[in-house]
Amino acid sequence: MSDKVSLSLCLNGAEHALTVAPERTLLDVLREDVRATGTRRGCDEGNCGACTVLVDGVPVLSCLTLAVRMRGRAITTVEGVQTGAELHPVQRALVRHGAVQCGFCMSGIVLTAKALLERNPSPTAEEVRQALGSNVCRCSGYARVVEAIVSLGGRP
Amino acid sequence: MRYAEPETVEEGLALLAAHDDARCLAGGASLVAMMNAGRVAPGMLVSLHRIPELSDITETGDGLWLGAMCTHRGVAAEPRLRGAMAVVRSAAGQLAHPAIRNMATLGGSVCLADPHTELPAALVAASARAEVAGPGGRRLVPVESLLVDGFRTSLQRGELVTRVFIPRGTDGAVGHHLRFSRVSSDYPTVSLSLVLVMDGDTCRQARVVVGASGPVPLHVDAADQRLVGTRLEEADVAEAGRLLVRAATPLDDVRGSAEYRRMLIPRLLGRALSQAREHAHV
Repeated sequence: MSDKVSLSLCLNGAEHALTVAPERTLLDVLREDVRATGTRRGCDEGNCGACTVLVDGVPVLSCLTLAVRMRGRAITTVEGVQTGAELHPVQRALVRHGAVQCGFCMSGIVLTAKALLERNPSPTAEEVRQALGSNVCRCSGYARVVEAIVSLGGRP
Repeated sequence: MRYAEPETVEEGLALLAAHDDARCLAGGASLVAMMNAGRVAPGMLVSLHRIPELSDITETGDGLWLGAMCTHRGVAAEPRLRGAMAVVRSAAGQLAHPAIRNMATLGGSVCLADPHTELPAALVAASARAEVAGPGGRRLVPVESLLVDGFRTSLQRGELVTRVFIPRGTDGAVGHHLRFSRVSSDYPTVSLSLVLVMDGDTCRQARVVVGASGPVPLHVDAADQRLVGTRLEEADVAEAGRLLVRAATPLDDVRGSAEYRRMLIPRLLGRALSQAREHAHV
């Protein structure tokens, strides 16, 4: 017999009442129950960073997070970063620098960069590289991604 | 699967005692990955995140207690982990990659007992002791004797690790963790943790532990003793390295052959010692 746990998930500022089995990951619940499919499933084992979301502002891997543990926590996904119709500054910088190719990794990169800039508004290229250590991109070679994020801090 | 969120260690122990197939869930970084892959399917998950004492950090005269649920990110940022204790801080800051460090915990690392990650070797180098709570009360166990095999600890069914004590060590001691990996977010091919005490150019104390070179962190008393009393000249380091290599039982895997790992050990030892000596002079 499996427990079913009822909880309220605070996603991008809105409460979602859900009943979930305890073994289901936050990634499963976001994509399958809430239908917030901007969060990508890559490796499902914590190696690729495609499923990165922010929990109370900190980047975590939703594929390794059980949804039942998210009671009382504030979750931010890529659907929650823009203001009205306006893309988030990180998203605009990535577009401006031509940093996006297939785009599969970008939800995770946008959230990682958002968290970094909130903690450190003017990161160096090295700090950006360190922060992106959890996010694998197989198209870009990272150079334009790093340039785009660094450009937001006004450092040369 | 059943699920519970105890709020005290005693409640947690009662749950573990009542369910044969219960598992503790710490940060989830390894257990949930194994569940996703279908490698484990616990009947009962006991999530430890609502037990406040497991996240406490307490300083005493002779060291620092780190709660089992402290994340690696928190350990890596803990300024009180100085001197000999810095080996643990240094290892936590290099483990895996940032998102994993935000989730994974010290207690999780101890109980997973994965010989290819950073913390087991660093904790053994620091002479750390784990506090184990069980039906019979609490006891302190050196991490070195808790780790009995790859992915196996001496914990009994129904026990859990509550916190880890990192001894302050000798005045002037320096702790350092050095890893060699293909890229920084990968598992190390070989890692080396050490605590060193120098008196001028003479080594007074050395405790060297090699990671990813056998089923448990490799610590060879004779290698430590080979360094003590010397000026850490090339020949001393080479001989201590040979003693470590002789005892090492590394694997052939995608990160390097066993032979390659044996070649790395003395080189990393030399590098780690000279880096630690630089820290000692600061």
